Amino acid sequence: MSMERLDVLKALADRRTDEIVVTTMTATLQWPQVSSHPLDFDFLAFGMGHAADFALGLALARPERKVIVLKGDGGLLMSLGSLVTLGRYAPPNLLVLLLENRSYEMTGGQSFATEVDFPALASGAGLKNVERIDDLTRFETELSRLLTKPGPHFVVLPVTNSASLPPVSHTDHTSRVTKLRQALDLVP
Amino acid sequence: MSGASAARTVALLKTLGFTDAVSIPDGESRLLYQALVDDEEMEVYLPTREGEGIAIAAGLWVGGRKPVIVLQNTGLMEAGDALRGCGIGPSIPLLLLVGWRGYPGAMTGALPIDSAYPYTEPLLDAWGLAHRRLMSDDDLGVIAEMAEAAEKRSKPAAVVYGYGFTP
Repeated sequence: MSMERLDVLKALADRRTDEIVVTTMTATLQWPQVSSHPLDFDFLAFGMGHAADFALGLALARPERKVIVLKGDGGLLMSLGSLVTLGRYAPPNLLVLLLENRSYEMTGGQSFATEVDFPALASGAGLKNVERIDDLTRFETELSRLLTKPGPHFVVLPVTNSASLPPVSHTDHTSRVTKLRQALDLVP
Repeated sequence: MSGASAARTVALLKTLGFTDAVSIPDGESRLLYQALVDDEEMEVYLPTREGEGIAIAAGLWVGGRKPVIVLQNTGLMEAGDALRGCGIGPSIPLLLLVGWRGYPGAMTGALPIDSAYPYTEPLLDAWGLAHRRLMSDDDLGVIAEMAEAAEKRSKPAAVVYGYGFTP
C-alpha cells in the first residue's frame, strides 16, 4: 500500500502548530501548496542527502521545540551513515518522516534497489521508535502521538504522486536561513 | 615536530564563545578531540562522515549554537557539497579546524608525497575561504582571527593544522 504524497503533506500541515518543518527535494515543491508558516524551512540545494543531518543539529540546538524533517528515501541513501548518528544522539524532539517512493523522482524517477528495508536499516542503526505507516487514516490518527510524544521518531511513509509538480522556484539560501532565525527570535 | 596544545585550544575556543564541536578526529587531532570530550561545557558530536558533520553544524548554528568543526583535509574534500550548501551558500560562519594530512612528510622531504598534501590550501582558496596555518602554540591567535573572519565575511573560514596536537 502507499499514500498520495500531497494527502500526507496536507494531513501534517493541518495538525502542525509551532514545529519547525524541514523539507527537501520534491517535498519542497508540494509543501508550500499546503503550508505557509514562518517555521517552514526549504533545504533544497543545501547539501545532497543532508536534510536529516541539518534537522538533527536544529533539534539539538532547540530542545524545547519539535523539529520535523520530510525527506526522501533516495536522499537517505546518500547519507546512510547519518542513521547511526541519529540513533546515537537521539534528540527526543526530532521526527523524521521518510517519504518512500523508491526512486529519484526529482530527476525523472530513476528507480534504485527495490528491496531496501528502510525500517530495518533505521532499527539496525540504533533508532528506537521506528515504524511504517502506509494508510492515510492511520497516519492522521498517529500524528497526534508523533507530534507530542518524546522521540526521536522515524516513520517510513510509502508514497506515490499523481499531482503535477510545480517548477523549482526558491529564495536564496541566505534569506531562508535568516527567516528561520527570525522566526526563532535569534535575530531581529 | 609537535603542534599546538589541545588544552589551550579548547580554552581559547570557549573564550571565543564556541559551544559545540562536530568532529571526526584524525591522528593529529585525537588529543584535541579528547580534550573537547573531557570539557564539561563543550558538547561534542561525532558523525559518520564529514559532509554529515557540516550539515549538523549548520543546523546547530541556525538553531542558535556556535559550533566548531574539526576534520581532516581528506574529509573536507569529501564534504565539498555540504560545505557549499550548508556553509558558503547560506552565509553560515562555520569555523573549520582542518588537519593537513601530508604536511609533515612533505616538510621532511619524505617520498611519496601524500596526494592530500598539495590540494589543501588551493582547495580553500578555490572556495574563497579565509584560512591560516596553526603549527604551534605560537600560532593560536589565528583561531580568533579566523573565527572573526568567518563572522565578518558571513562564510566559513579555516585553520589548517600541520602537526599533531599535544596535551
